[in-house]
Amino acid sequence: MENMANKVARIPNLVDWSTGEVRLMSAKCNSCGTYFFPREHYQHRPGCSREGVENVLLPHKGKLASYTIQYYPCPAPFKTEKKITPYGIGLVEFEDEKIQVAGIITDTDLKSLKMGMEMETTILEMFTNEEKQQVVTWAFKAVK
Amino acid sequence: MRDVYIIGTGIHPWMGFSEQVFADFAAVAVDNALKDADIEWKKIQAIMAGIFIYGGNAGHLSGQYLESIFGETGVPVVNVYNACATGSASIRMAYNSVAAGETDTALAFGADVSPKGFLTAKSDNAVQDRDVIRWKMGGMPNPIYWALECRKRMEKYDTTEEDLALVKVLMSEYGSKNPHARFKKTYTIEEVLNSVYVCDPLRLFEICPVSTGAAAVIVTADKELIAKADKAVKINATTMGSAIYGDPTIRISALSCPAVPEAPMLSESYSASRQAYEKSGIGPEDIDVLELPDNSSWHYLVYLETCGFCKDGEADKMLREGETKIGGKLPVNPSGGFSSHGEALSAQALWQVIECTNQLRGRCGERQVENPKVAMAQTYGLMGNSGTTILSV
Ligand SMILES: [Zn+2]
Repeated sequence: MENMANKVARIPNLVDWSTGEVRLMSAKCNSCGTYFFPREHYQHRPGCSREGVENVLLPHKGKLASYTIQYYPCPAPFKTEKKITPYGIGLVEFEDEKIQVAGIITDTDLKSLKMGMEMETTILEMFTNEEKQQVVTWAFKAVK
Repeated sequence: MRDVYIIGTGIHPWMGFSEQVFADFAAVAVDNALKDADIEWKKIQAIMAGIFIYGGNAGHLSGQYLESIFGETGVPVVNVYNACATGSASIRMAYNSVAAGETDTALAFGADVSPKGFLTAKSDNAVQDRDVIRWKMGGMPNPIYWALECRKRMEKYDTTEEDLALVKVLMSEYGSKNPHARFKKTYTIEEVLNSVYVCDPLRLFEICPVSTGAAAVIVTADKELIAKADKAVKINATTMGSAIYGDPTIRISALSCPAVPEAPMLSESYSASRQAYEKSGIGPEDIDVLELPDNSSWHYLVYLETCGFCKDGEADKMLREGETKIGGKLPVNPSGGFSSHGEALSAQALWQVIECTNQLRGRCGERQVENPKVAMAQTYGLMGNSGTTILSV
């Protein structure tokens, strides 16, 4: 994995690379079994005691459950230094966690996108901040 | 509970961005509704206002500002927001107030001025407002959500790009005959299929933009007012639904959704429509004209299934076989739909109710459905908001 030392997520508590792999920061409710992303976006089953919610990382890899290609630039506050349009947006399924997560598709030939293909979690550099850090978002790319 | 009737409706025609004050648009709609009902302002005993989210303090207290235009009378004024189902919430509150006997006559209204460009984040605070994440990091404007669902649909059923285009063709034909519509140009399948992708598989002409517009509805249980109205229209049910745990739809604002469905898609609309069927004793098979929220061509198809007008995966067939045309088995969106109007957030659900009312009153001219007796207006709002109104004459 490339050097991640000088990178910072634009909003914290969404994407983690401390384990050496880029993974999404989810939470699991041990009472109703539901996974949440973002982790504060609780989606408990009705009647759940809501006890035992723990922070977990989603697996690095999942399967493409849907996708689209966005042909016009996303308006502010979205911001990237480099032109990324058109860009893909994928819905990636983490099967065991029974959750699908949306994210930008990067570093992938958009013509090669197919439902069910294997995707891995990565980061996309958005811009450099005043502290000269690379501000990043989570993203997905096709497993090569 | 008492029977409640719509006796007056008013619209400010839909249009693009305007510098005019939202309350002035609302006043036009309310004035038209008062004239249509042939009643004085002082007859209004409650005001249920849809808020205008981009209007700051005035927009959030839109009912008070509207009241001050016509003259303050001290009646209850409630301001409500339920995303694109805001109008459903306002008419439901007006209905409940009158049905319960709290008031005899109530006004529901909503007005919206289109933001100058795109809809985008309403705050900068990602901690309080989780909607901020999709804008700052996700790169996900609203149509992305519809495209992700549309792709799933095309994979699962035999929905084609031609089906998506055909929706626009039909909507543009009807919109061209509607004086309230913003877009009046008609399109052929080829023209729609030649329009650029916004987010594939959805093209420019297959998604609706944001608009400016206002709508107002006056409801009453006052027998005198009902008798003197130009054909009062009965509200058989007006309901609100929220989402159900396990709904697999990725909701606008959300960044994730369940991978294993435990509830119907668009479960908020499933909930609202089933409540309405139960309360009214009227089922999908009884509906003579339907206004559904065609925010995109995908919505047009999926809503026929969500609301029980056909089985899952059969909406395309209904469309192709002409069943949803004026003159077909179930005329859908004779108004031209959102496709011909665009979204005017707090007004659009009321505008759908008004189209249904006008159809039942036989006032729709070239786009009139033949002698309808029962009509249904169905809304859709982000993050689990929906409303259903069933009307009859
Ligand atoms: Zn739980």
